[in-house]
Amino acid sequence: MVKFFSKIWMMLRHLFERILIAFWRRVAPVKTPQPGYSTTLADNLQMHMNLVMPLADQTPVGRARAAAAIAANIDELFTGLSNVGTVHFARFDLIGGNLCMYSVFDGDFRAYIRDFICAFGSVFDSLLGLVADPPPSPSAQNPEAFIDWIHRHDSFQIPRDLTSLFPEEKNINNLSRDLVLLLDENPNVQLGRFSGYPGVSVAQIRHNSGLGW
Amino acid sequence: MVSVTSALKLADLQGNILRGYHKPFVRHLVLSVDAPTAARRWLADATSGDASKAPQITNAEPWDERPPFCVNIGITHAGLAALGVARASLNSFPHEFVAGMAARNVVIGDTGPSDPSQWHETWRRREDVHLMISVYADDANDRLAIADRILGARGAFRLRAALDGEAFKGDLVHFGYRDSIAQPQFYGVHDPDDRRDDQPFVEVGAMLLGHATPIEGLRWQVPQPNVLGLNGSFNAFRVLEQQVEEFEDFLTACADKLMKDPLGEQLLPPGDEAQWEPPMTRLAALREMVAAKMLGRWRNGVPLALSPTSPSPTPPIGNAGLNNYGYSTDPDGQRCPIGSHMRRSNPRDARTVQRNTNHTRRLVRRGMPYGPHYDPAHPVKAERGLLGSFMCASLTGQFEAIQYDWTNLGLQDPRITGANDPILGNNDPRFSRFSFPVGDNVVTFRGFSSFVHTKGGAYFFQPSMSAIRHLASL
Repeated sequence: MVKFFSKIWMMLRHLFERILIAFWRRVAPVKTPQPGYSTTLADNLQMHMNLVMPLADQTPVGRARAAAAIAANIDELFTGLSNVGTVHFARFDLIGGNLCMYSVFDGDFRAYIRDFICAFGSVFDSLLGLVADPPPSPSAQNPEAFIDWIHRHDSFQIPRDLTSLFPEEKNINNLSRDLVLLLDENPNVQLGRFSGYPGVSVAQIRHNSGLGW
Repeated sequence: MVSVTSALKLADLQGNILRGYHKPFVRHLVLSVDAPTAARRWLADATSGDASKAPQITNAEPWDERPPFCVNIGITHAGLAALGVARASLNSFPHEFVAGMAARNVVIGDTGPSDPSQWHETWRRREDVHLMISVYADDANDRLAIADRILGARGAFRLRAALDGEAFKGDLVHFGYRDSIAQPQFYGVHDPDDRRDDQPFVEVGAMLLGHATPIEGLRWQVPQPNVLGLNGSFNAFRVLEQQVEEFEDFLTACADKLMKDPLGEQLLPPGDEAQWEPPMTRLAALREMVAAKMLGRWRNGVPLALSPTSPSPTPPIGNAGLNNYGYSTDPDGQRCPIGSHMRRSNPRDARTVQRNTNHTRRLVRRGMPYGPHYDPAHPVKAERGLLGSFMCASLTGQFEAIQYDWTNLGLQDPRITGANDPILGNNDPRFSRFSFPVGDNVVTFRGFSSFVHTKGGAYFFQPSMSAIRHLASL
């Protein structure tokens, strides 16, 4: 009985939250900040992309199909990533019903994705057939739309200083509300990142390690 | 000069994109649309073929006879809206053009003294910058007369600024370098038997929307409707103030340092400067050497890649040879520093970190000095600089990519990552450095400021002639 009432209470609470969020969105909408640019060197190197792409078929069969597609194309993907030249790390994951690509790269996000299209866009296009809402294909014929699509599926990255997200907000008491609205808009969020060697590019690491670049 | 026609309809292109006019005078009229109907009528008149109605916008068709003046236009996103372009069409333009140059300031390095808050008022009031009509002329009076005729167009436009540029003798710019040497040559436009250099010809899609680009298989988005976007181009127009006195003082400080450093003797063996034409004092020669290392060319235009130790090589390099070089035989920058302005902006055949980018970020550059010539014997404090147009089909894929990745981050080579372009870069004396190898050693200069400050600018769309007629018909 306690469990039953607890469940009803939770449902009512969630319903109330949804109504409250809908109300807040109407009276005090919060716009998702665009990725910022910086003049600081370390802020322009080792950038993160956390691409979360819901699969069209999220059953075990659909997930297996995605795993098989990545396995079949892994060599081309890795060769392409190497040719982009600015990628520190990249990995492909299945998380729940999502095909994910996480990577750390140097420089501008849009330049990275453009180089990504050049280096292995055609391979990536074939994978996007498995995704729920694929971008216009082929990517090379629709580069701007492809880049915008990748940007929409890239997890929102919360900076170290939470308040910097809402520079227009004058009332500190509203920050919690703003954060709730932001997370309502952006289900996938990167909460923090650490680098053991900030301000160094992948080419510098390869060059200084004698690996060639 | 355009010499070969092709499937490309040259009569449909604005004339200043694929060729330079080489006129000594320019007046850029920065305008807002005061009366949209009258402005559209002016566009119709300016493309009617009837010069009695309005000065005609110059297209790219080959000339039998050089006209005494040429006219071209660019339109901002706000300008397109002011002319009555529909919302859906406005939204089909690339996001960086929609945002505008001032909003992209951090990407392109316009911070500190170049921050948009420091720009001239015309450019700070960016919502009022709608059109730029450029009048290029052989004669200064013609320039004024044509500009006045445009401004008299039945209340169509309100003048926000008139910017005058004037070519210096020998194509020099304020820093004393010879300019206007290198421009891309295009497939289907320029004659392959008349190559100016060994760089690959460039697909016209690098400049014009709707065509194949230098990136295999890639085409940039054409703003809709097609008649508006096709054969259009983008122009990053910039008012670049040059700190000539500071630049010359910096050269002197560097030369002084080299005079006392054994590396100076390695860089320029004593006595060599006497063989130069004209012969120079050692201090003056070292100043010229530093200036050349910073740009990648001697101030007379001779490239370091071809003549690393003298501005007057024997045999001399003629005009035809000034652009005929690469960097693949100079991988460490012994001749031309990897961090020099020219090598950064266009690495040609040099190895780059971003392996697909060589030859893909080419820009057409049209520039003319403004302000009084700097005379070191009688220095006059005045604003002087360059009115520069940087044209391309993708602002983010070409102009901004060069500014962000190469000019200011140095991402293309790990040996310069973290150091900015010594001439054009957004340099802060706390962090700035410029290095180049001398044998097994490295010369490094530090602590210099930006020598170029942006004083204004905007992203303009340069529509095709069909698109201008389409705008006139709205």
